[in-house]
Amino acid sequence: MSHTPFILASYLISTVVLLWAALSPVIIKRGLLKQLKYRQTRMDKSQ
Amino acid sequence: MNPIYLFFHKTGSPPWFYSFSGKLIPWLWAGFLLLAAYGLYLGLLVAPPDYQQGESVRIMYVHVPAAWMSMMIYGLMAIWGFIALVWRIRIMEVLIISSAPIGAAFTIIALITGSLWGRPTWGTYWVWDARLTSELVLLFLYFGVIALYNSYDEPRKAARAASLMAIVGAINLPIIHFSVVWWNTLHQGSSIGTSGNSIHPSMLWPLLYMALAFKFYYGANLLSRARVRLLKQDHRKRWVQDLLTEETR
Repeated sequence: MSHTPFILASYLISTVVLLWAALSPVIIKRGLLKQLKYRQTRMDKSQ
Repeated sequence: MNPIYLFFHKTGSPPWFYSFSGKLIPWLWAGFLLLAAYGLYLGLLVAPPDYQQGESVRIMYVHVPAAWMSMMIYGLMAIWGFIALVWRIRIMEVLIISSAPIGAAFTIIALITGSLWGRPTWGTYWVWDARLTSELVLLFLYFGVIALYNSYDEPRKAARAASLMAIVGAINLPIIHFSVVWWNTLHQGSSIGTSGNSIHPSMLWPLLYMALAFKFYYGANLLSRARVRLLKQDHRKRWVQDLLTEETR
């Protein structure tokens, strides 16, 4: 049995999981900052 | 004031933590990338195949460090949970809930890569062996902490419940570690320990480099998540408002 597909699959899956875990806070932060800035500009305009 | 005490005192302040961690994160990512690149080079290109496992031993260079991380992170969560419950330090609460998804990610990696290693070596992807089952329980504990935290509207109450669950769940850590000693398992015993190693240096070094790389990854990812959580929790506070004003300028 060739071990190569198992090795490749292991490293590929690990890379995908680690990338997901690393990128998700960046994506959430981007959305949150956008939302907070929008809220702040609306508040500034209303004052 | 003692500089160490002063550092811990400062760490408890969200604006200081946000600014300090922001400076630290790029260095941690750089450390991770360098160590992982060297560890992968050693593990995939330099280290020899194992005389019994053959080439599939290369899966160990990601499986073992991921399994170590899955346990280490839960252990840290339990310690922080205790500190958060006793001293009510909010940063600790933030660190617990920010750690849980990273710990779950490492547990998923350990389980999947272990399964992919098991097929060519044991002839099966999965057995209900004590080590594998207790590691799966660890994954459910991570999910439990995340689900429990999200079931509350008030972050501090949520953190207290999550802290308690992290402390209670820590009972699973010695079960995972000693499962190969206490029960007759298909999973082999430890090759690396305080009393000596039964692993050749050509295979040990890539393992250690990868283990260190994952620690840097954890540090960078944890701080990134903690910063987002602080922003979310404190969005009405002055320091976040000032930060936003500064960024929009």
